Amino acid sequence: MPVITVTQINRYIGSILKNDRNIQGVMVRGEISNYVKHFRSGHVYFTLKDSESAIKAVMFANSVSRLKFEPEDGMSVIVSGSIGVYERDGAYQLYVNDIIPDGAGAAGIALEQLKKKLQKEGIFDKAHKRSIPPMPKKIGAVTSLSGAAVRDIINVLSRRYPLGELYVVNALVQGEAAANSVCRGILKAEAAGCEIIIVGRGGGSSEDLSVFNTEKVAYAIYNCKVPVISAVGHETDVTIADLAADLRAPTPSAAAELAAPDIALLYEKLSGIERHMEKAVLTFFDKSVDRFTTLNARLLAQSPEKRLKLTDERLLMLETRSKTAFLRYIDRIERDLAEKAAKLDSLSPLKVLSRGYSLVYNEEKLISSSESLENGDIIRIIFGNGGADAEIKDKW
Amino acid sequence: MKEKATFEDNMNELGRIVSELEKGDIPLEKAVQLYGEGVKLTAACRKQLDKAKIKITEDGGEAENE
Repeated sequence: MPVITVTQINRYIGSILKNDRNIQGVMVRGEISNYVKHFRSGHVYFTLKDSESAIKAVMFANSVSRLKFEPEDGMSVIVSGSIGVYERDGAYQLYVNDIIPDGAGAAGIALEQLKKKLQKEGIFDKAHKRSIPPMPKKIGAVTSLSGAAVRDIINVLSRRYPLGELYVVNALVQGEAAANSVCRGILKAEAAGCEIIIVGRGGGSSEDLSVFNTEKVAYAIYNCKVPVISAVGHETDVTIADLAADLRAPTPSAAAELAAPDIALLYEKLSGIERHMEKAVLTFFDKSVDRFTTLNARLLAQSPEKRLKLTDERLLMLETRSKTAFLRYIDRIERDLAEKAAKLDSLSPLKVLSRGYSLVYNEEKLISSSESLENGDIIRIIFGNGGADAEIKDKW
Repeated sequence: MKEKATFEDNMNELGRIVSELEKGDIPLEKAVQLYGEGVKLTAACRKQLDKAKIKITEDGGEAENE
């Protein structure tokens, strides 16, 4: 008989388990105990047990991160996973992919499946979400007329948005017939001309939310022609109606607040418009005044008075210039004349006589040589000052 | 003043007046006229808000029969 090692035997058993379809991909019901989360790796270790037996289980961090709740000791759950061998310890254990609380039972599992299906069908797509009209004239509410939700909605809208009309469609929110009732209510509110519809119910966590987790209601919300606000009034559970709605409100009161603006904002908006108009019209006036001022200045510049004045000034200037030119001309002539006169004066014979020379005339003839004289002639001598007649005695 | 116009109608009209005023290429007389209309409309809107009272219609639906 051949001798084999511990590792070999554990590995062999592991391969046998892995190939057994009965224990691969199983769902096991049990209660969680000794639940430990390894703080560094994030892996989770626990024991799953029932009244008679127990099995070790491990769930790796990446699967743990997908869980929508935190498992605890004592919790009844259904885990899905496969059986395998942990070779180091020679122990077989359950390798867990998912944990579903058993309290919700089959309904819980079905709900998860429905969510996945609708998700695939695009019912929850963000692209399909419509925006809320800013000032709806008619707001629909599909809920129970006897419930707290309708009173909350009426209170909020009376206080915040009394401008509109609230159209309440009574609908069953509990029991077998609820889904159809809610669907018909949505259609009625839509047909009545509501611009936005609130669908929901009031109440706490203990109340039955199943109607808001039905495929019918999800489709009714998805197919509604106007935006829908869900108001299921449940803080922890997100229903399918919440996912399908265009907007999710935690309570009916919150839904009413989301459905319409606050009247205080409308008053503010009005004041804003008033200020805006005032500013616009004042700016307009300012601009007009500016234009008037500019045009007026240009007009005045073209007035006949102004033009006359301008012509006057030019005339005056021309006159002054011509006067100056004329005066300069006269001045030049005068100076010219004086110069000439002075020259003339220096050439005058009288000037020569004054220096001691004399002029001698014989019968009106100026004598410049003794040849034209005979003894006995009477000559006239003219001095610089005065004159005398004389007789030639001896010419030479 | 149009009594039948809803608050929203009046607000839309106000929006039109403001944008017209802001254009600035309209005659002064028209601007004054628009401003006058705007003031009247804001007063009407305020009155509508003051007087507003929610109207509630209840539709019993088939729920009553079940």
